[in-house]
Amino acid sequence: MPPAKKIKDIIINGLWSDNPVFRQILGICSALAVTNVVLNTIVMGIAVTMTTALSSFTVSLLRKWTPRVVRMMIETLIIAFYVILFDQALKAYWPDMSRSLGPYVGLIITNCIVMGRAEAFANANSPGPSFIDGLFAGLGYSFVLIMVSIVRELFGMGSILGIAMPFFATASWDRWIIMVMPPGAFFTLAIIVWIARTLQKPKEAQMPGVKK
Amino acid sequence: MKIKDRAWFPVFYMFAATLVLSSILILFGAFTKQRVKNNEQLAFERAVLEALNVDITGYSPARIHDQYVQAVRVMDTQRPEVFAFYENNQLIGYALPLSGPGFWSLIKGVIGIAADTSTIIGLSFYEQNETPGLGGEIIKPLFRDQFNGKKIARTGIPIEFRMSTAELSENSVHMITGATQTSTRLGKFLNNQLAVWRDQMKTGDR
Repeated sequence: MPPAKKIKDIIINGLWSDNPVFRQILGICSALAVTNVVLNTIVMGIAVTMTTALSSFTVSLLRKWTPRVVRMMIETLIIAFYVILFDQALKAYWPDMSRSLGPYVGLIITNCIVMGRAEAFANANSPGPSFIDGLFAGLGYSFVLIMVSIVRELFGMGSILGIAMPFFATASWDRWIIMVMPPGAFFTLAIIVWIARTLQKPKEAQMPGVKK
Repeated sequence: MKIKDRAWFPVFYMFAATLVLSSILILFGAFTKQRVKNNEQLAFERAVLEALNVDITGYSPARIHDQYVQAVRVMDTQRPEVFAFYENNQLIGYALPLSGPGFWSLIKGVIGIAADTSTIIGLSFYEQNETPGLGGEIIKPLFRDQFNGKKIARTGIPIEFRMSTAELSENSVHMITGATQTSTRLGKFLNNQLAVWRDQMKTGDR
């Protein structure tokens, strides 16, 4: 097992300093598509987190035998395997959620975060840390998406998790329909990335190679 | 030469990995197939009962199924797609399944019609992918309950969809503000299918 310091770095990288959404700008497509209702976003976040963690683990497990030339094909195969498994499990055991997520579960296969972690980390590290890396990259993705969806559902529908909120659900709040529509996701995500980058800036300036 | 360096190894490796992973998926698919089918059937049965205004809040899946099996019959052999609903051997109404394109994807639902063949008693949906908060509002009671008690018009458009500021008659309902596309498309296929129903009932071909 690697030292605890390294594990701690992986966790902090995934959640904050190397966050997939606002540092690497990956997984934006689904960040825009599924964030108009908080519940859908949470389930999507869980699905991406599980897929990233498990596929990183598997890619890492096979890394010593996988020939370089078919490396990416194998990664895609493993990712697709977990996504189809998850999609089928939702259909069988949680049909309501499966219906409301529609085609988006299948599209996790094309989520760049999953492939990104497999390529950038799991290919060169042992299974344990790879699993943790995937897990926290997924959680980092999820928490940004949940923030976006809370803003969108609150302003657009006056509720959070389907529960009517005081003031926002009353007649004195004119619902912002644009928040529920795709443009609302662009605005909200951009503002959240802006805030996060502003908070990170003092650190960024200290990095080697950054021009002042 | 190690086996890993041979030219055929990547092909073999890829083939073997695909075989193993696909086999697991096929097994899992076969294992859950019946469950998925049951879920789809149950969603339909629930929609039929809701359209017929049967109160099923808090019912377990098994109880919904029992209720359905006990009370719902195929209307007649000429129209196997229409269902008739009986309570104590008395005809309460008909459930007419509907489907057509929405804004994003197919919408499937059921409309309940009273035994007089012209009064609507309920509307429900069991498959849709409209924008939550806009077109997705068609599944909310606020929209669906408008249909209860409306009459299918004798001529022209059976149930007219009007702007949310317009006045309503006994055969018109309000569209959803901000979801013009969903409302218009739903109105189109719903009315086409109701018009077919109206013609069949008028000519007395049942």
